[in-house]
Amino acid sequence: MVYRALSDVRVIDLTHYIAGPYATRLLAQFGADVIKVEPPCGEGGRRLGPHRAASAGDRLAERGGLFAFLNADKTGVALNLKDARGRELLMRLVADADLLYENFAPGTLTRLGLGPDDLIARFPRLSIVSISNYGQDGPDRDAPVNDIVLAGRGGWTFAVGEPKREPLSPPGSLPQYVGAVYAALGGIQALFARDLGLGRGQRVDVSLLETTVATMIYDTVAFQYTGMLRVRRGKQYATGPFLIATLRCRDGYAGLHCVSDRQFRALFEMMGRPELVHDERFASAPARMANNAALVELVEAFFAGHDAAWLYREGQRRGIPLVPIPTVAQVLEWEQLTARRYFETIDDPALGPIRIPGAPLRLGSHRAAPSRPAPRLGEHNRAVLGGRLGLSEGELRRLREDGVLGGML
Amino acid sequence: MSRVPEGIAKLRVLELSMGWAGPLVGELLGEMGMQVVKVEDTRNFDWWRGSAAMGLPEMRPIERAPTFNSVNRGKLGVTLDLSRPRGVEILRRLAALSDVLIENFSPGVMERLGIDWPQLGALNPRLVMVSMPAFGAEGPDAGSRGYGMSIEAMAGVTGQMAYHDGGPPYMMSNALGDPTSGLHGALAALAALRERARTGRGQHVEVAEVETVVPFMAGALLDYQFTGEVPRAIGNRSSDAVPHGIFRCAGEHAFVALGAHTEEHWQGLLRALGLERLGRDPRFAGAAHRKANEDALDAELGAALGALGVDEAVERLLAAGVPAGQVSPAPAVLADRQLVAREFFVPIQRAVVGTCLYPGAPVRMSATPLDASRPSPLLGEHNEAVLRELLGMSTEEIAQLERDGLIGSLPRA
Repeated sequence: MVYRALSDVRVIDLTHYIAGPYATRLLAQFGADVIKVEPPCGEGGRRLGPHRAASAGDRLAERGGLFAFLNADKTGVALNLKDARGRELLMRLVADADLLYENFAPGTLTRLGLGPDDLIARFPRLSIVSISNYGQDGPDRDAPVNDIVLAGRGGWTFAVGEPKREPLSPPGSLPQYVGAVYAALGGIQALFARDLGLGRGQRVDVSLLETTVATMIYDTVAFQYTGMLRVRRGKQYATGPFLIATLRCRDGYAGLHCVSDRQFRALFEMMGRPELVHDERFASAPARMANNAALVELVEAFFAGHDAAWLYREGQRRGIPLVPIPTVAQVLEWEQLTARRYFETIDDPALGPIRIPGAPLRLGSHRAAPSRPAPRLGEHNRAVLGGRLGLSEGELRRLREDGVLGGML
Repeated sequence: MSRVPEGIAKLRVLELSMGWAGPLVGELLGEMGMQVVKVEDTRNFDWWRGSAAMGLPEMRPIERAPTFNSVNRGKLGVTLDLSRPRGVEILRRLAALSDVLIENFSPGVMERLGIDWPQLGALNPRLVMVSMPAFGAEGPDAGSRGYGMSIEAMAGVTGQMAYHDGGPPYMMSNALGDPTSGLHGALAALAALRERARTGRGQHVEVAEVETVVPFMAGALLDYQFTGEVPRAIGNRSSDAVPHGIFRCAGEHAFVALGAHTEEHWQGLLRALGLERLGRDPRFAGAAHRKANEDALDAELGAALGALGVDEAVERLLAAGVPAGQVSPAPAVLADRQLVAREFFVPIQRAVVGTCLYPGAPVRMSATPLDASRPSPLLGEHNEAVLRELLGMSTEEIAQLERDGLIGSLPRA
């Protein structure tokens, strides 16, 4: 779903794979005009899975599911930036843009003759958001990296899993998504600075390692305060005067988040053990910290005898943040998200109808419009380069023949 | 010294939130240079300060919470007893002066206090109000409570998070739902302020926390739609890269993460670890064979890496062009050479706890750098400053509020 809050913002998007495309997807959902500029062969993210079974033929080869989600609501052109004419066309697109997003390896833009400082000197209202693994400088700027390394080095992984086993990395590409949200924020922050006093654009450097560490916001601080290292605690988030844990129940697992005196009183009542409130082992936060193991044992035994749905209903009725642990299939069918019309079905030209997550926030000022599918390669070459820049049909054909333009024309 | 654009410095944020997600919105807007007033109560203070029972009163335990102190930097801390009409009235006066209001009360609380959107929007039509319910303000689960781990569970993250060989699901270590919805709360506030610049009108924005995290699971959600099967949790492994995992190194708390996504990575890995013989082993000839014999391969790597210190393992692998890094516990994150070189952590002197390093702002702006270097407020630290300067109250009025227990700086039972 697409809002109009940023309808006066123009974005040129040179990004690929996940972190960059999700950053500009967010801006597109808030109404920005995002022109995605891909190389003539398409950006690498088109090949990311998941893929539909190949039965429906060649047209499926153009994109996987993730590309279709990450690039919805963008306008797509395919330009060869290694060719001077391609770069000149990019300059004409950048001329009235507010933001340029890129996540090339650091230094690539400069090598292409598109150095960020030069671009901003030429287009003073432009801000350039560069997303990279480790930032635009530093000793490991160019080090090879992947998701498991980002999460591990960024501090997310060490304290997860069984105490005696290796730590457990989070699923998928979560650090890249988190970095993307920071990068979307960074672009808007640059617009605020420009329009509320600075008067010009600037460079914005977003390191995925740093966005990963930033969301561990207090762990490094806690270590300095106490000198105590947070270690793997299996089903428990950490050891403390609280009980935050994934616990086995009769038909699966449930997640409990119990912290305050009030929540523990409610939990003991739910367990049919109201007298535990006065049990000296559990009567106060310090006592619950000292007797954490006994507390876990009691609660776990109770959970084992009940279904997740019952625990959710009865826990929430008493004000305890207690939830089931659904599969992605159950998330898709969750009646709460259905009632809120959260998932949106788009008819993707290559993949057919797919249900994708909708806007991550809801503006009250106006109704959101339906999303458009991600562009086919070069789908908007003619509309953008002919329509907006005024290139003639002959010029477009020549550029296509010379390989300066790729994909559809 | 300050490079805050003047139009940003004029923006005022009123924060009525606790824990991580809501306060992170104030933190992010405050780092830009907006003035953030955080409202707590001396009885019902931000629960992320912890419990006053966790230490002797003179130790001021609620001023020693790394959680609170990390995510409330640079805010003006005031207390107000919102259980009394006089407290709510002062709050309404602050809301009338504000550009943004952030709240993450349980559903229904704002309405009960008489400060829900219909009332505040009428009071201040230019106000942008950001509400952050766990699962949304409408729908069958609207009344449910959820914190970071509940959000990440209901978004489908936890269900996908288990070791490759089975076993129970685990939580993220960073309560992913909290920082993620906080970041979106800041996006919401900025998007609405930008719309206001065109329309002149504020609005109410709802950030249902779970809906900010579900998009991160798009890959698994689409996988299920394409195959009809719930994707299996694969732990530290990868659907394509092999080897791919986390391995113990010599010494305590020493683990390395690595992945070989290409043939070059594989060859580099063998060279780095002196395992060239595996390159001639038919079980590992080509990615398909390596995948089929992944347990055996992991055992070989485990033996080789277990003999190396983690720094040496990482050095060798990076030198050979293999994606690799330490699985860093907190002190290793603090000492990470890339973070140190870029001065990511910033020292902050804070009353009661002294000087420590805190994570800096990971969005590096060349002309108007974000400022994450100010301390978090003590409980009620800025009562007088805010009430005097923003609301024009006299010393006597403020003293009376304190005598009446409407404001204060020490926790009450």
